[in-house]
Amino acid sequence: MWQYEKKLQYPVNIKDPNPALAKVIVSQLGGPDGELGAALRYLNQRYAAPCREVQAILSDIGTEELSHMEMIGTILYQLTRNLSMKEIKESGFDVYFVDHTTGVYPIAASGVPFTAATFQSTGDAIADLTEDLAAEQKARVTYDNILRLTDDPDVREPIKFLRAREIVHFQRFGEGLRMVQDMLDSKNFYAFNPSFDK
Amino acid sequence: MPMLSDKQKLMRRLQQSSFALTEANLYLDSHPTCKDGLKYYSQHKKEHDELMAQYTEKYGPIRAEQTDTEKEWSWAVTPFPWERGES
Repeated sequence: MWQYEKKLQYPVNIKDPNPALAKVIVSQLGGPDGELGAALRYLNQRYAAPCREVQAILSDIGTEELSHMEMIGTILYQLTRNLSMKEIKESGFDVYFVDHTTGVYPIAASGVPFTAATFQSTGDAIADLTEDLAAEQKARVTYDNILRLTDDPDVREPIKFLRAREIVHFQRFGEGLRMVQDMLDSKNFYAFNPSFDK
Repeated sequence: MPMLSDKQKLMRRLQQSSFALTEANLYLDSHPTCKDGLKYYSQHKKEHDELMAQYTEKYGPIRAEQTDTEKEWSWAVTPFPWERGES
């Protein structure tokens, strides 16, 4: 089960609304390497993890991703407050506005709504953890690109925090993968599914 | 850097302390017998619990279960963290 805490993991206080920026940052909510996909990936994969440590890593990182989803939602909410119709039209935010007004909706910046087709839960811990390592790097790249697209320090600071978390999660998944590989004995040298083949 | 309210200052301290726990938790997941890690966690846990008690007493619940039920269900009345100035 989960319990909500009424606090952000890292502060978000944006002075200047910027709908054009919201239109690209929304990808980290509902895009191919966004926080929602990350949370669902880890929280669904964890049942197939063959040892407690990896079950813990997937549960805890999956949970942290939910708090990152909240930070991105907060950034989007604050970037799109008090907009005039002129600002909405001129920023290109109109194509999002027509369906969602200024509601927070998980969608990629390209306009593709959130889809579970961007991640896997293979039932094989080695395949899953290898995907998880790539997922953290891909999310890091998206944060790098967001940092290239804005010089607003109110947005950059929380984005830099989120970028750093991708690197820490990559490290922890690397340790998880090593642990699972170490569990394989000589009978399973070629890494057949350690979660299914007993 | 804008001026922070006293509430925000305390929230920042709580966020820092909470983050130390999150980070140590993930590290301990893959190093469950690391003595230094365990010590780090327990030190920060103590600090976190003190800050949490201080914050909730002054500004209301962080978790629903911390709501003081004497007067009203303040959980539903105190601001949510996505508002500016709440984090």
